[in-house]
Amino acid sequence: MKTQKNVSAHFNNFPKPLLGDWCIILLSLGLIVISFATLWSHQPAATLRIRAGNAVLGEYSLMQTKTLTVAGKLGKSVIEIQQGKVRFKHSPCHNQYCVHQGWLSHANQTAICIPNQISIELTGAKAAFDTLNY
Amino acid sequence: MRYFILLLTCFTQLSCSIQLDPLYHTQTYVFGTLVDISIYGEEESQAQQITSQITREFQQIHNRLHAWKPSEINGINRTFTENRPKLIEPDIVNIIQDATQLSIQSEGLFNPAIGKLIKVWGFQRDEFTAVSPDQTTLEALLAEQPKMTDVVMNGRQITSNNPHVKLDLGGYAKGYALDVGLKLLNEFHVENALINIGGNVIALGKHGDRPWVVGIQHPRKPDAIATIALESGWAIGTSGDYQRFFILDGKRYCHIIDPRTGEPAQGTQSVTVLIPPGARAGVLSDVASKPIFISELSNKAEFAKKMEVSNVLVIQEDGQILATPEMQQRLEWLDEDAKKRVRTLQ
Repeated sequence: MKTQKNVSAHFNNFPKPLLGDWCIILLSLGLIVISFATLWSHQPAATLRIRAGNAVLGEYSLMQTKTLTVAGKLGKSVIEIQQGKVRFKHSPCHNQYCVHQGWLSHANQTAICIPNQISIELTGAKAAFDTLNY
Repeated sequence: MRYFILLLTCFTQLSCSIQLDPLYHTQTYVFGTLVDISIYGEEESQAQQITSQITREFQQIHNRLHAWKPSEINGINRTFTENRPKLIEPDIVNIIQDATQLSIQSEGLFNPAIGKLIKVWGFQRDEFTAVSPDQTTLEALLAEQPKMTDVVMNGRQITSNNPHVKLDLGGYAKGYALDVGLKLLNEFHVENALINIGGNVIALGKHGDRPWVVGIQHPRKPDAIATIALESGWAIGTSGDYQRFFILDGKRYCHIIDPRTGEPAQGTQSVTVLIPPGARAGVLSDVASKPIFISELSNKAEFAKKMEVSNVLVIQEDGQILATPEMQQRLEWLDEDAKKRVRTLQ
């Protein structure tokens, strides 16, 4: 009982924030906003979108270990998801550019297999751009 | 606390507006590459109809201009070999005259008459293999000197003074299609859209209250190196050595052939040009980067002037990054290392 009284007394005696405290609070808030604005574009990717031809085949979480086989124009492409990253593991295409691209792990990264017409695309909360010039 | 709630409301509204983004986006494969169309602010069914009409038109352009499958261009090449005149469609007349003018402007570095050279390097195929034509073959093909100025147009009748001219509009067709696409969007009264054909992009209107933003591919990483705001009517195009290429004995051979040597251009990884609004913005975004890509580093600025482009970004094989002052103002770098290294192209 006595302890509780002491605690509430302590809270009542807690000094009112001074100008300096407000400055620190505002500064911290500002810092949070700035961090969001600058670091947001380098966010780790949230979702993997797989397209075949004109159709979106599905959206998958990157936080899993999974191997997907997708039928394309030439044949079957094998896409491997491994805890936060994804790649074309096998492809029936001739030049294997898609396989050589290796692992993708950041939002806005894409690998496209043009011959087999399959694309893997990592999306985040906010896209850094609308389309890619290459 | 009041301010905190205000801030929270701002964030909530922001996330709501992102979710309600009336953006229609579609991807298809035409021109042997990816075609990506975004339409903002139209009803979905409407946007779907419009994009499928545009895609159909693109498919038609592709079929008519195809360099190595039966097409109108292919037919023209055959009559050139046989030394016969041929009657062609008015729009093809315009395309060939325009390509000829651009070839002259580039002092022959943009040369769509060298179809035979492109073929011996194996790039006139959907799936090409590493090939190295022998020096004798290359020298023989170079000696034939195919040029756009060999082509003679008499009304709708076309002939060539040189039977070795083989038209390949691979460096023109996608840009031309962008201009056609923009024209169609205007006819459909679409106000905001973005068309991307194999990396060449043209913008119409905006994405909501901000301009369309285009990422520029890093030539050696699976990321964008920078972004750029593409205002209404502007077009952007890149010539790179990383999309169509093969590696033989450790050396990279890209699909852009230097008409002076008959061999794939070396030394440059990518050239990006930004073209202001105009009837041929798309064509120029496709064509103007080629002479700059092919020419030696010391001549790149001069060829940019010849092609009348003031927004240019060059990435060299040795790591040098150069951009014109106008381009530097527009680029938003994502790659911090590249940002530090950029120098002025002049």
